[in-house]
Amino acid sequence: MSFALPARQVNFASRTHITPQQQQQYQQYQAQQQAQANALALPSGSSFLASANANAPSRPSPLSNPPYQPQQSQVQTQPPSLKAQTPPTATTNAIAGPSTPAATPATPAPLTLEQQHITAVEGIVPTLQNIVATVNLDCRLDLKTIALHARNAEYNPKRFAAVIMRIRDPKTTALIFASGKMVVTGAKSEDDSRLASRKYARIVQKLGFDAKFSEFKIQNIVGSCDVKFPIRLEGLAYSHGQFSSYEPELFPGLIYRMIKPKVVLLIFVSGKIVLTGAKVREEIYTAFNTIYTVLCEFRKP
Amino acid sequence: MASAYYEFYRGSSIGMALTDSLDELITSGSITPQLAMKVLQQFDKSLADTMVKMVKTKTTLRGHLHTYRLCDDVWTFIVKHPSFKMESNEVVSAPRIKIIACKNGDAIEPGKK
Repeated sequence: MSFALPARQVNFASRTHITPQQQQQYQQYQAQQQAQANALALPSGSSFLASANANAPSRPSPLSNPPYQPQQSQVQTQPPSLKAQTPPTATTNAIAGPSTPAATPATPAPLTLEQQHITAVEGIVPTLQNIVATVNLDCRLDLKTIALHARNAEYNPKRFAAVIMRIRDPKTTALIFASGKMVVTGAKSEDDSRLASRKYARIVQKLGFDAKFSEFKIQNIVGSCDVKFPIRLEGLAYSHGQFSSYEPELFPGLIYRMIKPKVVLLIFVSGKIVLTGAKVREEIYTAFNTIYTVLCEFRKP
Repeated sequence: MASAYYEFYRGSSIGMALTDSLDELITSGSITPQLAMKVLQQFDKSLADTMVKMVKTKTTLRGHLHTYRLCDDVWTFIVKHPSFKMESNEVVSAPRIKIIACKNGDAIEPGKK
């Protein structure tokens, strides 16, 4: 699946605009740092690693330019050893290269970003469950005419000011308003959503309205999947407090409001995940990849 | 139209029979058309009430719902290959039926129809 990988890399790339010059500067700087560290004559490989990491936030920063800052946050979320034996691809160098000291022999099998990406999802790909789209038919509609003549239509103006219409293929429901605006829900893919919307527009046209098919826009995409291991929601809620809301007395799932991509996740103890709020499919996949690494941390023993 | 009852029972066999009889009586000059209208209105009312209050027989219906529609509080269903299972365990089927379902007589607001 080609979509997932670029999505993840874009994340990194957008944060790091490291020019070769900056990189060189940084490498010089790092060499100095390392020299200092060596001068301190730290005893073993592992403690060197720990102290190097502990040093990281408090380093004096001649390079405290934007590209450098996000690097640190990256370091915290990824294994510090990431760089060590990675094959020197362009991206991995640009990203992981400067952030960690070289030569950490004691750490086992680090992963490239690519590998990490694949293992991070373990072949789990969220399934799209619902797509909500809006269309503007750009023409006033007489809903009663539509309700009387179209099949599978409901119109009860006392309850709701729109005609509710369904078609069987793609299995969807449309809300058609007198203003000519229409909401189409229930499709399982973007193409189905668009096709269904066109079919509804055609039905309205056939009833004698001058309906156009304009301003088609997908408003929401919902996906779901199962990570197949139980999750400690309390732990997750505690350490990701600013994104999480977990009130088991109100709702059994943890509500995780991810900022980038802007997606809301419902995470359940069972390991089942619902992702919603995305405008494009890639946001669902990126959100899942991002959360998966976090979830692994909070796997129930 | 002040009548608060649906007139569709006039299309049933009992309604048709009544309408025919009234027609005959009008043509023979026994009653006035106004009286005939009154009788029919009473028929609408009585049948609606009777269906609600007296008819307790039930049947279960299975089939493929081909089309449905709700407009003006009237549901229309077209069911393909329905099979009715009567209380007597008798099964009746048909290639296609149309069900028209209205709110029961009491529930219609006067003057709404």
